[in-house]
Amino acid sequence: MRALHIYVLLAAAALVLVSAGQLNPYWMHVAIIAMYYGILASSWSLLAGSVGLFSLSHMAFAAIGAYTSQLLINWFGIPIPLGMVAGVVMCCVLGGLIGWVCLRMSGPYLAIFTLGFSEIVRITIATEDGVTAGMAGLHTDQLFPDAATRLPYFYTAFALLAVSLLLMGLLVRSRWGLFLRAIREDEQAAAASGVAVARFRILAFAIASGFAGLAGGFYAHYITIITPSMGDLNEMAKLVVMSVIGGMERLPTAVGGAFFVEFLLEKLRDLSGVHWHISILGIELELQNIDQWRLPVFGVLLLLTMRFARNGLLTPIWLQFVRLGEKRSRAPSAAPDIGPEDSRA
Amino acid sequence: MSEGAELVRGSGLTKRFGGIVANDAVDFVVTEGDLVGLIGPNGSGKTTLINMLTGHLEPDGGEVAVRGRRVNGRAPHIYAAMGVARTFQLTQLFGRMTVLENLLVPGLTRPHSTRDAVERSARGYLAFLNLSHVEHLDAKNLSGGQQKLLELGRCLMLEPAILFLDEPFAGVHPRLRDELITRIQELHEQGRTFVVVDHDMESILRISQRLVVMARGSKIADGPPAVVRADQTVLAAYAGL
Repeated sequence: MRALHIYVLLAAAALVLVSAGQLNPYWMHVAIIAMYYGILASSWSLLAGSVGLFSLSHMAFAAIGAYTSQLLINWFGIPIPLGMVAGVVMCCVLGGLIGWVCLRMSGPYLAIFTLGFSEIVRITIATEDGVTAGMAGLHTDQLFPDAATRLPYFYTAFALLAVSLLLMGLLVRSRWGLFLRAIREDEQAAAASGVAVARFRILAFAIASGFAGLAGGFYAHYITIITPSMGDLNEMAKLVVMSVIGGMERLPTAVGGAFFVEFLLEKLRDLSGVHWHISILGIELELQNIDQWRLPVFGVLLLLTMRFARNGLLTPIWLQFVRLGEKRSRAPSAAPDIGPEDSRA
Repeated sequence: MSEGAELVRGSGLTKRFGGIVANDAVDFVVTEGDLVGLIGPNGSGKTTLINMLTGHLEPDGGEVAVRGRRVNGRAPHIYAAMGVARTFQLTQLFGRMTVLENLLVPGLTRPHSTRDAVERSARGYLAFLNLSHVEHLDAKNLSGGQQKLLELGRCLMLEPAILFLDEPFAGVHPRLRDELITRIQELHEQGRTFVVVDHDMESILRISQRLVVMARGSKIADGPPAVVRADQTVLAAYAGL
């Protein structure tokens, strides 16, 4: 029963959908935001993990998707879903353009270039008051204005995350996914093997940016106000932390990282007002408001992950999970079990 | 040169790196059925020539034609699609992909290919290269010799008309080197065309039907191995032979 893990995932998804109504409004909001980051982390992982393109403009694309959707609604009165689709299309086009401009860049050069683009987007949004409402924030239309609870948003976020994962998963497992991984491993060898490297790099940028735009569009019509800080470097750093801690070479682990970080960040808020008195070598330290330390804690966690678990903290767990069915269905064998599960995941 | 149709032609190929002329108006023609050995001292411009003939470097001067069609400035994957395959001086594999996946990549770039057919073909080549037992290993875990064989297999998956092998015997254990030579000879007998670059004179002379010698960016000899070996210019350039 090789697909046991898929049945387990489907059962878990069904359980979540059935019991979502039991969540209190606060934790439901956290779950919705975690799913928003889940789409962003998985699509960034598609770019960074599968193709090896370390882009720092992903959150800028989320902002572009959000602003495009609401501005088109404001200007032309189009329905919200159409606005979101327009945001996705805009991000695909701009992402493809960035991919084309960055064709010969990789590593730090690509990171710096995309960081520059991200800052241009943020500053443009912040300064164009007349169009974007600048730092005051642009008020957005709600996707479900008549909803009494957040449940419709929860289901929508869940559906968008599931569809995004399904589409990206199909891409990763297709021949295109194989070509993208070949490009990640060695562009020159991929080209010698007949892979149109430039075309696939542009395609990867366009697709990943499109998913970022989708997440941004949903966020805009859930949160009701969007600001330029949506696409700033802090948000991008948070996304990188989520993907790296989860494991950026697999879509599910990146999503897991997004959930892990988002929920833990919120849980640590409970330490608000807690004071610790520490004595080290006779030096007395008074730590006030422990919750303020939650971000440095994630910094340390990131460093430890990079040092001791480069594939992410969740990757070993995920690999064990996908092997569930195989272990049960296969007779004990002495054959080494290296590789195929890694590559399929 | 064999009597077959012309596959690849480089005319007046020139490449400069800064002030250094790596290739100086080199003419190089390979016809169907050739098994060419390309030799020369370090820095003589062999790899630069191969890079230009396979689309990995754009010549500063001259022209590259594949089956009579001018292809200067085209991307390497276009050359691959036209049946020009190559290996690299330092083996370049898809290290974190399995051995089988390494072969699937070129196979699936071919038009109208299906996953099942490509997998069958890949397994056939893995058996031919004695790599079946490692098909699920990541390529980075293979020995140096196995990596060279895998790189050859990756070329074969393109069903190429011509294969450029850049130093296929470098750093390879003698037993695996013999296996590599046997495979090249078998493939040549099946009708494949080869250009083999190497410093290992013994291996090159064992397999070549035609020897081309380069020195200081120029072609200084081109002909049957027995004739080229006796050439005084070649002996002077290849000091010690």
